[in-house]
This record gives sequence, structure tokens and C-alpha cells, in this order.
Amino acid sequence: MKKRYTRRDFLKHAGIGAASLAAGPALLDTVFAQTSGKRTLRILQWSHFVPSHDKWYDQYAKQWGEKNNVDVTVDHIGLADLKSTFAAEVAAGKGHDIVEFIDPPSDFEPSVMDLTDLNQEAVKRFGKQAPFATRSTYNPYTKKYYGFCHGWTIDPGDYRKSLWEKAGKPNGPETWADLLTYGAKIKNEQGVQVGIGFSQELDTNMAERTLLWSFDSSIQDENENVILDNKNTVEAVKFMAELYKQTLTPEVFGWTAASNNQLLLAGKASYILNSISAYRSAQKDVPEVAKDVFFTPALKGPRGTAMACEHVIYIAVVPKSAEKNADLAKQFLLDRTANYDRAMWESKLYNSPAFFGTALPGGDRGYPAVANAKTLRDLHNAWFSNDPYALPGERTDKLMPLKDAEKWSTNVGYPGTANPAEGEIFGTYVLPGMFARVAQGKQSAEESVKQAAAECKKVFDKWRAQGLLRKG
Amino acid sequence: MSTRRLFERETFLAPLLLSPVAVYMVLMVGFPFAMAFVYSFSNVTVGNPDFHMTGFGNFTAVLGDPVFRKSLLNTFIFTFISIGLVLILSNMLSELLTRQFRAKWLIRFLIMMPWTAPIALGTIGYLWFLDSVFSPLDWLLRTWGLLGKPHALLGPMSNMYWLGQPGLAMASVILVHVWRLLPLATMIRIAGMNSIPREIIEAAQVDGAGYYRRLFHIVLPLLLPVISVTVLFSTLFTFTDMTVVWVLTKGGPPDHSTQVLASFAFLKGIQGGDLAQGAAISLFFFPVLAGVAAVVLRIAKKAVVT
Repeated sequence: MKKRYTRRDFLKHAGIGAASLAAGPALLDTVFAQTSGKRTLRILQWSHFVPSHDKWYDQYAKQWGEKNNVDVTVDHIGLADLKSTFAAEVAAGKGHDIVEFIDPPSDFEPSVMDLTDLNQEAVKRFGKQAPFATRSTYNPYTKKYYGFCHGWTIDPGDYRKSLWEKAGKPNGPETWADLLTYGAKIKNEQGVQVGIGFSQELDTNMAERTLLWSFDSSIQDENENVILDNKNTVEAVKFMAELYKQTLTPEVFGWTAASNNQLLLAGKASYILNSISAYRSAQKDVPEVAKDVFFTPALKGPRGTAMACEHVIYIAVVPKSAEKNADLAKQFLLDRTANYDRAMWESKLYNSPAFFGTALPGGDRGYPAVANAKTLRDLHNAWFSNDPYALPGERTDKLMPLKDAEKWSTNVGYPGTANPAEGEIFGTYVLPGMFARVAQGKQSAEESVKQAAAECKKVFDKWRAQGLLRKG
Repeated sequence: MSTRRLFERETFLAPLLLSPVAVYMVLMVGFPFAMAFVYSFSNVTVGNPDFHMTGFGNFTAVLGDPVFRKSLLNTFIFTFISIGLVLILSNMLSELLTRQFRAKWLIRFLIMMPWTAPIALGTIGYLWFLDSVFSPLDWLLRTWGLLGKPHALLGPMSNMYWLGQPGLAMASVILVHVWRLLPLATMIRIAGMNSIPREIIEAAQVDGAGYYRRLFHIVLPLLLPVISVTVLFSTLFTFTDMTVVWVLTKGGPPDHSTQVLASFAFLKGIQGGDLAQGAAISLFFFPVLAGVAAVVLRIAKKAVVT
């Protein structure tokens, strides 16, 4: 008699079939790895804004693999797809061994490994880490390092010297008040506007945090309590509305993250907040504009505070699903940090190190040797004093004001740590809404701040309930 | 029983032929829908697939969110205006395209182009077209003296700032979406018009019915089933679409002036990391769309000409 095929049998066989299909590639990897005696390390990260960096990095990863008998693959994807791709990998429980973000991935903390040992080892080898890098990778409430930060990018002010000279401020603005006064003068007399966004995009989010901190306010305090609704925030919002009226045009409400670069390159911006990549693009495409672009550190607020948001912060995580390769991942990240001079050089100084005390490796490093440079700090100081990428006939000391940028740069979440609540507020554009409602005349500053603070409080309460923030 | 005879049996063949659709529906529609349903009652986040059930908390939180209410309103504005424009324009276009004129095939081909091109690419083209500084449309307006002069019709400013002003941004998003939907709606309508027996139209003409009488008393009533299908597809498509909004404005200009439910679900669920609330937002589509589908299909069924 034939055996009856039950539903239980069907589910069992279907399950085995599905698991075999899902595990097939991994099994093949394992078989090949065992045959060749090699392990594999898979890395997922963004496509760098400076293409020469990725060209070098892919080569470096390959050579590292050959040296350590590991097959290394590096997958680069667009910045916008990074989070959704990793979310899919987390849900599937498989994927890459190292995933590198350019903002703090604090909401992934439950799904990634604790990298305390890696961070401690890095401090032992390379010295102190920039404090905001630590605040972007460590959760003091759960006492877990969910990521490892090896580098970051400075977010200075980029100004057109010729315009500011004519306006009587040849070295650009020093304070936010200067930006308003002279920015308005330049717009009225020379017809060139300031280029700070008011839109639902990345650069606006950073610029508005920069302004808020320089006006001695923030979304949260050091202990993760929402403190946005205060008189300093109201003052900052009123200032920004005034800055809009006097120095900007309605276009800033519709900007993308690339708009301020485009405006600078088109010669239509007197001052923007952006990394030096805007300037590097100008060097390539419009040298006459590039020669006129100079830099300011963070602008001072009404009480002398000057803070700026990091432009990019490189944070690697090791998913829990990659636990068997964690040793390789940690070794790779430590070695990468030890070779950060190359990342700085190949990114045309876009990347700055999180560990300035890292000793320089000896030998030919692929760039002209710098006399007496023993650490990344020495190298950074030398290159920022004498830009090796300056165009012929261009001043080479333009980056000087950014030499000590780690002193006035900080993390999303300042003065506290980065956390999922700050991440959600960043990702859902709460601050751009708060500033724009007032600039558009839809709400008073007080009402807008109150509304934004209430939204922030809800978000904080929600993530507190998830156990990822301090109890209020 | 031989294999051939087995395949001749309707009770075997019909389920066999329908099975790929059924499998597709279960895997691609049923499973994600069930996941969204479960997630919407949980505290799942993008970074933590482990979750526990939290009842209606996400729905109450979403309903209390001013951005959600704005997105809901925007979704209705976006959908109704888009569908209205698509219906009117497809009506006009199909009237033109069913007449005989030179290079008709070329015009038809050109009109179909937006439907064949990937929408993201087309929308990126519009992003440049509507750029706040480099818009060629603004350049034309300035060249024609309609913009950028003290007493110009559209104002003295050098640009319209299409994507920077809430009203213009919504209008831009709607127009790009209409541009995208129009070819399909037009082709469906042309197919419907071709199916109307010519004798009916000719008889009306002989009886002295003018163009508008023929249109409103003969053509449109006979086309009602086809128009209903167009409305159904366009509504479902528009209500659930986020591509145009996301590429053009990301829901901006602030404060969420063009945010629609689909883009807000993505914003909250993926960018914000709160997958549970993202799922709750997306579930708001279901009753609305199920209702639209039921009503339109009922109208279409009643209107079928036998």
C-alpha cells in the first residue's frame, strides 16, 4: 500500500528544500574554502565620493587577503541603499561579515556583535580615539560598542574669497552673525546668495545641528533627556529664519544633498557648509572657482560656542550572523586602521583618521614622503598646511583653518552619544521641519520648537522602551 | 488514466494553469501582506528582527502623528488630481489618436515612451528639468519675458523654484505622475474605442447627433467598463506609489509638503528604523484600496454591455 502524503510531510520536505536553496551558496563557499584552504571575508560599504579611494581600497583589501590567505570581496553600493540592504541581511540572518556605514548605525545594536575588544585593542595600538568617534559607536547604557570607527570627514564652511573681500571681510565669516551681515551684503550688492539648505536631505540636517549646537542648544543632553524646547533653540530658529530672508532664496527648500556643491561650482554661492569634496570637484571641473574657494572652521554662535557636525563618520559593524568570521573581520579592521595614511591620501584628504596617534608604517607608501612625520597627526598637519592636491599656481595653505577640526567637530547626538532616537529624528527630518515652518512664516519660533520637541520626546520614549536608551 | 486524458480534464487543467498565479500571489503578495500585518502589531525595528506584540500601539501612535495626517491628505490630493487629469487627457488623446493623420504611428510611439522608460530614470530627468537654479523651463520662461523682470507675469525672481515651494512642488509631482500614467490610460481607452461597433456611431450621425451628443450619450457610456478599469488601475498605482515623490522631493519641501503614505511608510520604517510603525502606515492603504477596487468593479460589472 502506498504511504499517504500528509500535510506534515509536505511542510517537512518544503522546509528542507527551501533551506537547501537558501544555504546552497553558503555551502558552496564552504566547500570551495575547504578545498582551497582559504577563508572568505565579505565587506559591504558605500561607494566613496572620491572614486580614487575605492580604487585603492579594493586593491588593498585584495592584497590583505593574499597576505592572510583569505578571499576578500568588497561590495560597494549607493549610500541610500546601505541601510535597507543591511536590514534585509539582518532579517535573513546572513550576508556580509563587515558592513561599513557613514552614520552611526545605533538602531542595529541588537543585531551586531559587541566590538569592545576591538575598540580596546585599537586604543592600545593607535592611541586615543577622537571623542565623537567613540560617542558614535558606544552605547553607555548597554555598555556595548556596536561599531568601530576608523575615520571621519570634516564639515567646514567653504567661502568665495573674492566676494567676501569686496564685502570687507576677506577671511570669510567667523560667526553666524557675520554670515548674516556680510552674506546679506554680498547678496544685495553682488547678487550671490549663501548656500545653506532648508530641505529634507542630509546636508540640511547637518547644517541645522551645527547651528543649534553653536547656539548652545541640542536635541538631547548628555543623559539622553530631550531638552530641545528652550530659549536657545528659539533664538537659533529665529536666526535661521532671518538668514533665509536676507541671504537665501526659496530654492533651498527644494535642495538635494548635491545642490550646495552645484551652486558653489556654478559660482552662485558665497558660502556653503560642506566637506572639501565640493572644492575638489571644483578643482577638477572649474579651476577658476576652486582657486577662489577658501575655508572657515565652525562659526561662533552668540555666546562664542563653535561646533560643527562631522560630515561623514565611517563605522564598521560585524553582524551577529558573521560571528564565525569575527576574528578575521577584527584583524582586517585593525590593519586597515594601521594603514589609514593611504586612506587619507587616496581620498584626497577627504578622510581624516579617528586615531591621530597611529604610527606611520615605514617604506614606500605611494605618496611623497613627508619629512619628520611619525604619526597620522604629523601627516595631517603637514598636508593641511601644504595641500599636496593644490592646483598649479593655487595657494597651498587653504586647508590650514581645518588642521584642528577634531576640536570643533562632533557627532549626531552631541552632547550625548549617537542613539536610535537621534537616528530616527535625523532620518525623518524633524529639525528641517522645525526650521522651515518658521522661515516659511507658517508658525512662530516658539510653536515650531514646541512641536518638534514633542515629536522628539515621542521618539525617545519609544526607543527607551526598546531598552536602547537610558531610562528617563 | 493516460497523461493526455488527464490534461483534457478541465478539473485538472484549470487549477494547473492557474497554479503559477496562485503561487505568485501567495509568495509575492500574501506573504509580505501577512508580514506587514504582524509587524504592525509588534515592536519590530529595522535593526532587530526579534519582536513582541504590542497591540494597537503603533496605530494610535501613527494616528497621533501630524506628519501621518498630512501624508494621508497629500495622498488623496495626489491621487484624485492625478486620476482626474489622466482621465481628461487620455480622453482627449485617444480622440485624436483614433483619427487618421500622417505619422500617426510615430505619435503613438512617442506617447508610449514614458511608459516604457524606467520611472526612476524619467523622474531624474524631471529633477533636472525642475532644478531650482538650472531649470531649462525657467530659462524658457525668462527668455519669453515671463519671469525674472520687474513686471513679468510670473514674478521678478530669476527662477520658479518648482520643488522649493509647497504648491509648486505638489503640482510638479502630480504632473510627472500624470506624464507617466497617461500612455497606459490612453492605450486602454483606444482599445475600448476600437471595440465600439461603428454602426452605432454612424447611426447616431445619420440621426443628426453632434460630436458632444455622441461623446456623452454613446461613446462614454459604452466605454464605462474600460474607464472603470483605468480608474481602478490608476488609483491603485497612484495610491501606493512613492517613486516620483521620493526622487523629486523626498516628501519635501519641509514640512513634508509632498509626503504621501507610501513614502512616509518608507521614511518611518527604513530611514527612521521603526519597521513596526512603517508597517502600520502601509496597512492604512488596505481598506481604502479594497474599497476602491470593490466599488469600481461593481460599476464596471453593472455597465457591461451585452
